[in-house]
Formats: sequence, structure tokens, C-alpha cells
Amino acid sequence: MTAIEIRDLAKSFGSVKAVDGVSFTVEAGSVTGYLGPNGAGKTTTLRSLLGLVTPDSGEALVDGRRYVTLPQPVSEVGAVLEATSFHPGRTALDHLRILCVAAGLPDQRAGESLEMVGLADVAGKRVGGFSLGMRQRLALSSALLGRPKIFILDEPANGLDPAGIEWLRGFLRHLAHDQGAAVLVSSHVLAEVEQTVDNVVIIAKGRLVRQGTLKELTTNGDTAIRVRASNAADLAPALEAAGAAVERVEDGLLRVRGIDAEAVGQIALDRRVVLTEVTQERSDLQKVFLELTGER
Amino acid sequence: MIGLVKAELRKLFTTRLWWIMLIVMVVLVGVNLAFIIAFAGVSQNGGPALPERDTMEWAQVAWSVGSSGGIFVMILGVVMITSEYRYQTVTGTFLTTPRRERVIAAKLITGLLIGLLFALVILVFEAATVVPTVLLSGGEFSLAETRIPQVSVGILASLALYGLFGIGLGALVRNQIAGIVGAVVWAYVIESIFTAIPALHSVGKWLPGGAAQSLMSIDIDTGLGRPEWLPAWGGALVLVAYGLLFAVVASATTVRRDIT
Repeated sequence: MTAIEIRDLAKSFGSVKAVDGVSFTVEAGSVTGYLGPNGAGKTTTLRSLLGLVTPDSGEALVDGRRYVTLPQPVSEVGAVLEATSFHPGRTALDHLRILCVAAGLPDQRAGESLEMVGLADVAGKRVGGFSLGMRQRLALSSALLGRPKIFILDEPANGLDPAGIEWLRGFLRHLAHDQGAAVLVSSHVLAEVEQTVDNVVIIAKGRLVRQGTLKELTTNGDTAIRVRASNAADLAPALEAAGAAVERVEDGLLRVRGIDAEAVGQIALDRRVVLTEVTQERSDLQKVFLELTGER
Repeated sequence: MIGLVKAELRKLFTTRLWWIMLIVMVVLVGVNLAFIIAFAGVSQNGGPALPERDTMEWAQVAWSVGSSGGIFVMILGVVMITSEYRYQTVTGTFLTTPRRERVIAAKLITGLLIGLLFALVILVFEAATVVPTVLLSGGEFSLAETRIPQVSVGILASLALYGLFGIGLGALVRNQIAGIVGAVVWAYVIESIFTAIPALHSVGKWLPGGAAQSLMSIDIDTGLGRPEWLPAWGGALVLVAYGLLFAVVASATTVRRDIT
């Protein structure tokens, strides 16, 4: 069954159309990146999915049902929203124990979940003294309490240091690929999700602009090869003779289109030119993203 | 629902406000008692004097001081709801319990329980101060001829219902500062006006403070004539009605709003 389904979702705040007819699905066992610039409507979509915001029209379903009708929501869906939603005077463990008893889960889940995100040693500390990264981990541990199979995370990498982001990537991949969970993760920073997500949904100004696998998006159009050579001036005509389009970027650096890297190497060998760099240029997600969202 | 009430109790007991409020309340009741002990039997400017310290009439007046704890329970009730919005913990609360009216119902019950707890503390404190005072002044302490049992029940009921009232009020306003200021202004300004001026008693007895007074059913002559309170059960009904009315209106309006 489709884990998450958004169908023609629309929501306005006053005269601002926050989300305007968005539809997409997320399947079990995959990580889907929900991408868009700030204010694109990501958070509104996710909050509609979780019953916190009532959409004007359309549907947002988890396991084919509206979130508010789930008998045990915490055991089906784990959600991470903004990292500020803690009482500063309460300890991490107490925060989770409150959620446990409200959800009818055993209290020891609180300690277990803190351990899963590496916060076990600060369990008894007040949240007011936590860094943003620690709060993000605490939010994630609250999503793990009910051991759900669907995860909805809004900008979970915000405030994490590089090591924390690396950890988060591994954690999300583990949830989806090893445990078969469906993970929907929003971000406005592409580098955060590029190495994590299987599928990408891009939204801008409340409208969906692109949906597909990461591969489909990044292998868009023809790609160039950067070639650096000791005798580039000599190499360029030979490449052109082989049918390549050569752009002379600077002294010693060429951008080559129309032939593959192996052909470049073969021609260089034939001409006895020393290559110092051969790089396949990838049309990176960042560029695609900026083009699609009209930020450039 | 038991789980949700437990969760609400945990929310309260895992932060510091509850015991700060409890201490402040006990101190205030203590100060009031100190005055009543000090001025027992003293007549000023020919005005009505408090009974002598060794009488049960005095003990009864001293006992009724406990009703002043209501405001603290009310503020605690307001904070129980408004702090969820202030610290955005309401997001987690509604994610765990998406049917929001269940959360409000659990909070109402918790407000009642907290009111009872605070009232019990007051009663223990009063017993520990009033009884020795009577005995040390050479009197005999006997409940037989007094209304102290009724006053005690009145304190229990009015504090519990003030808890309910605070929850309802908090759900309605959502803003913490507005909720607390509103509660204090209401209790100390508006209620005082309506209970102190005889011409306004007919309205005052229907207000939460007047209703709470009727639970105590004590005649206190303010010098401006004896106020006519509702019967005790009527006062209880009025307080319950306020709390539930606020909660129902809030559930239909503010509580249903988008959490963004």
C-alpha cells in the first residue's frame, strides 16, 4: 500500500496560497526528498499530512487514512517538525515519558529511543541547555517512540553539524532500506539530501514542479568532461577531429562534449599528451533545483 | 483517557511552576492567618471585631482563609494550556492525540485533581496552625458546633473548580500573558467590585468568585451589608458551567485552529 499519498492538496493562509494543488506519493522502503526554497509550501504540506493544519481542499493520507483517524498515530507515523517544541525546563527523558504515557506506550521506550539517537548520556538534563543539533536528535527520538513504519521529517538537518548530517543520512537510509520504512524528508539545502534520497519531489511557490528518481533528475541533458592536460593546445584539435565539441576554458583546461572519457584518454595516449585531470561533469541537483524553482 | 490525564500530570510535575505556585499559595494563606491571629478580639474604630482566639468562631473565620488559594490554582490551570502554545509542545501533544477535544478533556480533569491537591495542602496547613492557636490560647477545639467541615468541603470544591475554570480560560485565550493577567484582574478587580458593592450582588453571586464564596457559605459582614450568595450546590454548578462553557467554546474555536 502507498504509505503517503498527497492528492490535489490546497491550503491558503489569508490571500497567500501556501500549497496549490500538490499531488505525490511515497512508497515503503524509500527515502523521498521534498525540496523547495523557504516558503515554498513544504511545511504546510507536511502539517496537513499530520492533521495539524486543515487543508482547504484535497487529501493528505497516511496508509490510506487521514492522520486524525488513526487509532494509534504514534505507532504508525513518526514526525519531526520544528526543533523548538520543547519545554526548556523539562529533561529529555521526561519529555519522552510524557509522550509515551499519552500514547499508551511502555515508559522504557523513552530511554531506548534516546539511545538510538545517541542522547542517552544527557537523558536527565534540561532541554533548555541543549544545542540545536541535540534538539533535532531529541525530536527524532520522539518520532521513534512508537517504532513506526512511516517517517515525516521537516528540515531535520537544520542545526546539525557536518558529523550530525552524516549520521542523519545514515540513519534515514537505515530506516528506509534496512527496515522498509517510508521516509519523507523536506529540505531547502540540497547537499543535505542529495546523498540520501531515492526520489525527489520539488515544490516552488506552492506548486509541484518536478517529481522523479534522483537519477532521472541529475542525468538530465548531455554532460561535459573536464580535461586538464600539459599540452592542451595540441590535444584540442585531435579531440575535435574525433568529433568532440571542445571549449577552451583557460590555459591547459578544456571542456569536452560529444565523446566519453575513455575516448579522451585514448586520443591523449595516441598524441602522447600527459593528462593531469579527467572529470565527468555531473549536472548537479543544485543547478537543476535552482533552474526548476525559478531561483535563477 | 487515564493515560492522557497521567500525561498531563507528568507535564505539570516535570516542570518547576507547580511547586513554586504551591509555596507562594501557602505563604499567602500563612500571611492572612498571621493577621487573623494577631487581630483576634481587637476592635478598631468601633468596627466589628474578630472573635477571641480561644473560640471556635475565631477558628471558623481563620479556616475560611484557605479559599484565597483559588487564584493560584486558576493561574496554574491557565498555564497548563497556554504554555503548550508558548513552547509549541502543543505540536507533539496533538501529534500523539490528534483528537484535540480529548486533550482538553484530560486537561480539565487534571485541573480538578490539581485543585484538590492544593486544597488538601491548605487544609493540612490550616489544621497545623489554627488548632494549636486555639489550644494555646486556652480554648477547646471541637468541630461539633462549627461549620469547619462545610468550609473544608467548600475549599476543596472551589479550588478544584477553579482549576477547571483556569483550563477553560487558558484554552480560550491561548496567550499565556493575556490569560494570567486576565485571571488576576478578574479575581482581584472585577470580582471585588461585584462582591463589595451591595447593589451589584445580584450579578456578583453569578460570577466565579461569588460562586466560590457560596461554596464556603460563610457570612462575612463587610460592613456594607451581608451578601446574598447562591446555595452551595448552585455555586458549584455555576463554576462547573463556566469551566465547561469555556472548554466547549474553546474546543469549537481556538483549539481547532491550525498549528503552524
